[in-house]
Amino acid sequence: MGINLGYFARESFTNFRRNWVMSLGAVITIYLSLLLIGVSLVAGVVLTEIVKSVEDKVSVQVFLKDGAATEDVQALQAFVKTDPLVKSVEYTSKEEALVRFKEQMSTSPEILEQIDDNPLPASLDIELTDPREVESVVAKVRGSDLFLKVADRPDDPEKSLKYGEGIVRKLFAFTRIVRMVVAVFVVMLAGVSLIFINNTIRLAIYARRKEIGIMRLVGASNWFIRTPFLMEGVLQSLLGAVLAIASVLVLRSAILPRLREAVPFLPVGITVSTMVQLSLILTLAGVLIGLIGSGFALRKYLRV
Amino acid sequence: MPHMISMRGVEKIYPPDKPALTDCNVEIESGEFVFLVGHSGSGKSTFIKLLQREILPTRGQIIVAGQDVVRLKNWKVPYLRRNIGCVFQDFKLLPNKTTYENVAFALEVIGRSRHVIRTQVPEVLRLVGLEEKTTSYPDELSGGEQQRVSIARAFVNRPPILLADEPTGNLDPATSLGIMSLFNRINKTGTTVLVATHDREMVDSMRKRVIALESGRVIRDQHRGVYGYGD
Repeated sequence: MGINLGYFARESFTNFRRNWVMSLGAVITIYLSLLLIGVSLVAGVVLTEIVKSVEDKVSVQVFLKDGAATEDVQALQAFVKTDPLVKSVEYTSKEEALVRFKEQMSTSPEILEQIDDNPLPASLDIELTDPREVESVVAKVRGSDLFLKVADRPDDPEKSLKYGEGIVRKLFAFTRIVRMVVAVFVVMLAGVSLIFINNTIRLAIYARRKEIGIMRLVGASNWFIRTPFLMEGVLQSLLGAVLAIASVLVLRSAILPRLREAVPFLPVGITVSTMVQLSLILTLAGVLIGLIGSGFALRKYLRV
Repeated sequence: MPHMISMRGVEKIYPPDKPALTDCNVEIESGEFVFLVGHSGSGKSTFIKLLQREILPTRGQIIVAGQDVVRLKNWKVPYLRRNIGCVFQDFKLLPNKTTYENVAFALEVIGRSRHVIRTQVPEVLRLVGLEEKTTSYPDELSGGEQQRVSIARAFVNRPPILLADEPTGNLDPATSLGIMSLFNRINKTGTTVLVATHDREMVDSMRKRVIALESGRVIRDQHRGVYGYGD
């Protein structure tokens, strides 16, 4: 086998050199599609992280009218607490609300100056075990008599409830659309790469039809004839994959810091293990594209 | 002792309905030297291609070197071909390889070790009388020399059968004589040799077994025969 491996490697490199324009075309096509796959995977990871962090921030606030009876408030708190979807219920008094508000607005003192007495209501802050179930918790609260009794605005109970209406759902819908668009692009580009490899290998076969004829004549086994071409396809794909991985790394170090600066409140980050996984996925995808593309060309144009 | 080559009731019809061989029954023993003669289009090339399994017959049975060619699995065809050396009118040499490399190529691609290549190639080049031309490229060789290279390539693996399709078609009579005596020498080593030709003088002077084809039928099969055809 020692001789054979050397022979195959030599043959596929020679082919690559001989048709380097076509090979380059194939490499670039694979590179671009793998780059897109890589970038979209990274974007997917980042988006998922962001969605998760937004989910954690989803909570329900029940605003209470001034002077609501303490026992009613505690009863409502206890009632809400019985729901398994509820993680915790905290009571925030008018004073605490004002303190918190002042903290948040510390950068705009002119707003604080406008406030003389305390306009903020007291509230119950409900945290959920599963943010996606926010609607059902809200419905339960809304339907209880206790809530109507203590609500800030009994005439319009909706206004007394605040929760991240649909934010999570919208975010999910958005990421789904992004993923679908990317998936369609990836599939299309993968198709183009396959066609390109197919063409390159076809040219390589054509350039060497005489040799192939003689190989068949003297009884070279089918795999012996096919292997250099398969290896050429895989070689092209591997080159494309290496380029794509390098580009993703460059993009990561160029864009991530800026992104973090722009949106400091969002956890934007890619771990090393994610990058390793990504590299493996891209390499594997490249090899697969190479094998399938050249395999298809061999089936069609090299009947040995 | 089974026949080296055996055809029974072989018929080949090229699509859609062009008959090339009809009811062909031929048996060739191990070590025989046989001429296959006939006009162009008489079915000689079809006969050769069937033995190599370049093509399959429409019906009939073909046995070559103990293998049922018709039933042979695709992936086994290369191993059948290792038993059959082939020589053609147009030599089929690789122009960018030297004499030595052209012959070595045949061993390389069937996975022979370097040691085997280094001993067998010079030996077969000596047999065909080209030991002085090992580093020449095909375009530096005469037609006869090129054909010797192609014979060396066909024989370097010592196959039990050597097929030749119009091997002297491009050569002058004197050179052809040399090629034929080379075939004769190879035949003396025990190799079965089948030469398709329409070189009348050659056939008449060698007095070997002659199988004559006409319009795809075997019209004559005689030992120590001549080319025939009174015309």
